Amino acid sequence: MNPPRLGHDNLGLGLGLRSVHFDHILKHQPAVDWFEIISENYIDSQGRPRYVLQQIAERYPVVMHGVSLSIGSTDPLDFEYLGKLKRLAKEVNAQWISDHICWTGVMGRNTHDLLPVPFTEQTLRHVVERVRTLQDFLERPFVLENPSSYVTFQDSTLDEWEFVSRMAEEADCGLLLDVNNVYVSSFNHDMDPDKFIRSLPHERIVQFHLAGHSNYTTHLIDTHDNHVIDPVWELYRTAHELTGGVSTLLEWDANIPPFEVLHDEVLKAKRFMGEYLPATPASPEEAEPVLAMSGIGGERAPHPLHHILPEVE
Amino acid sequence: MSESPPPRTLGTVQQWFQAVVTHPDGVEGGVASEEAQALIRLPRGELEAVICRSRNLTAAERIGIYANAYYSRLLECVGDCFPLLRAALGEDVFNGFAFDYLQRYPSRSYTLDHLGETFPRFLEETRPGPEDGGPPPGEVGWPDFLIDLASFEWVLAKVFDGPGTEGQTLLTPEALSAHPAERFAEARLTLVPCLRLLVSRFPVNAYFTAARQAEEGEEVPIPDPAPEYTAITRRDFIVRRYSISQPQHALLVALQSGATIAEALAAAAAVSDLDDDALAAEFRSWFRLFTAEGFFQAIE
Repeated sequence: MNPPRLGHDNLGLGLGLRSVHFDHILKHQPAVDWFEIISENYIDSQGRPRYVLQQIAERYPVVMHGVSLSIGSTDPLDFEYLGKLKRLAKEVNAQWISDHICWTGVMGRNTHDLLPVPFTEQTLRHVVERVRTLQDFLERPFVLENPSSYVTFQDSTLDEWEFVSRMAEEADCGLLLDVNNVYVSSFNHDMDPDKFIRSLPHERIVQFHLAGHSNYTTHLIDTHDNHVIDPVWELYRTAHELTGGVSTLLEWDANIPPFEVLHDEVLKAKRFMGEYLPATPASPEEAEPVLAMSGIGGERAPHPLHHILPEVE
Repeated sequence: MSESPPPRTLGTVQQWFQAVVTHPDGVEGGVASEEAQALIRLPRGELEAVICRSRNLTAAERIGIYANAYYSRLLECVGDCFPLLRAALGEDVFNGFAFDYLQRYPSRSYTLDHLGETFPRFLEETRPGPEDGGPPPGEVGWPDFLIDLASFEWVLAKVFDGPGTEGQTLLTPEALSAHPAERFAEARLTLVPCLRLLVSRFPVNAYFTAARQAEEGEEVPIPDPAPEYTAITRRDFIVRRYSISQPQHALLVALQSGATIAEALAAAAAVSDLDDDALAAEFRSWFRLFTAEGFFQAIE
């Protein structure tokens, strides 16, 4: 029997570190519990991003969240990349390292997208073996996240939650439950999000993600560009009850608002912590806006990957 | 009795998926492509043999979300690497170049920071000849402006996040003055690792400044060709740009390659119109300026 959160700390309510907020954070040192970084934005940096991160890591707990591990790919693991992750994790004393249950490319290519895997026994064996290998290499807690997805495969023989649960148990790794992704994927694949969350091994959930998405009526896209909507908060309430509470992080990657707006958004999580804090009704602003569009191709891209732009005099 | 086909391997599915979502003609073209058909043979309209439909969307519409995202995301990222070039060309024309670029040089890196690395080279490789509206052979023309501007913007990005000297001791004007005069000519200067020296066929640094100063919506005209020499470095994590002369450029290039000060001065003199006295006075002011601006790390 595993302890809650696999024994890792509940870091509280954190925010994704984005470069537009560097100056604000350094100047005001806001009372945020912790920060999560996009690992790829910092592992090679020899400039301001790395410098700012070092200062933030001195004051706040930091978690490293990657987008290029490609754990599901049939390409070999990239040990040069993993070595850089390991070095940065040591430098900033990362509480854990996370990435997604996905693949980003094959034959040496990187689409820079979080592509879905067919949920089969074959994929499960492949992913479990790779997670074990990289956990031995990283020597730091490792956590995998359920991504948003837009297709399912005829080849799949397992439900997503079954795949995620067995993967975590067999590879002995932690889970990053992205509550918004459960909602998005469940809508897109006609699944029950509540059943998804209730079916997971809750003691393996080390972290939650919250984010906004875009509703195109026929499908949802995980755009990280808006407030968290009420149904996602309700799923969060359930997940919180089932886990007893774990580190919670808000992601916001496009149309990024001022820091205070982000901070206020993640603090709303306190309303949904059941017996731990009094529940209060969500404010009306979280009603989900529906975006008009005609056909596929005109919508916003999912999960825009944050790219730091240079500062030039 | 017919036998069911062997299960597809994960690798086959992934190669097929990538071939489909990155195909320049979209999902239909991707599924029909030779590459995809060699992996999973699908008659037209049989996509649901691989991808399930949902209550609301067909299989093609669903996988189309990934195909759309691939190009929209990466076109935006290439554009973010070259914001001034994108503005100069207009978004549609720029995206046309970037779309072709992604075909020839798809990302093979774990980081988006390398995405634009070969874009200047791509523009050079696809530089139009006279038959395509480009300049006659040997002449500088508008394609060279695009190449120079792309190269310039890429250097800005590399200097911003590359090695720097923040937190380190640099050569001070006092330390330079204190160096024994009799050993000055044979001394060598260590230049800071972030210093990049550019030669452009068009004044792209001046264009960058003009674009910065322009009002929103104001069009900045593409300049006439004229050689431009620029030093780019970083101080306090901000990228700094310096318009320099050809002799200054020659001096710094020589120093950067490890020449002695005497050799570097000779290189500068070789491209200067000034007489020896005027040049000697210039040299002193250049060294003061370059030292004050943090171009030098040490003298030995």
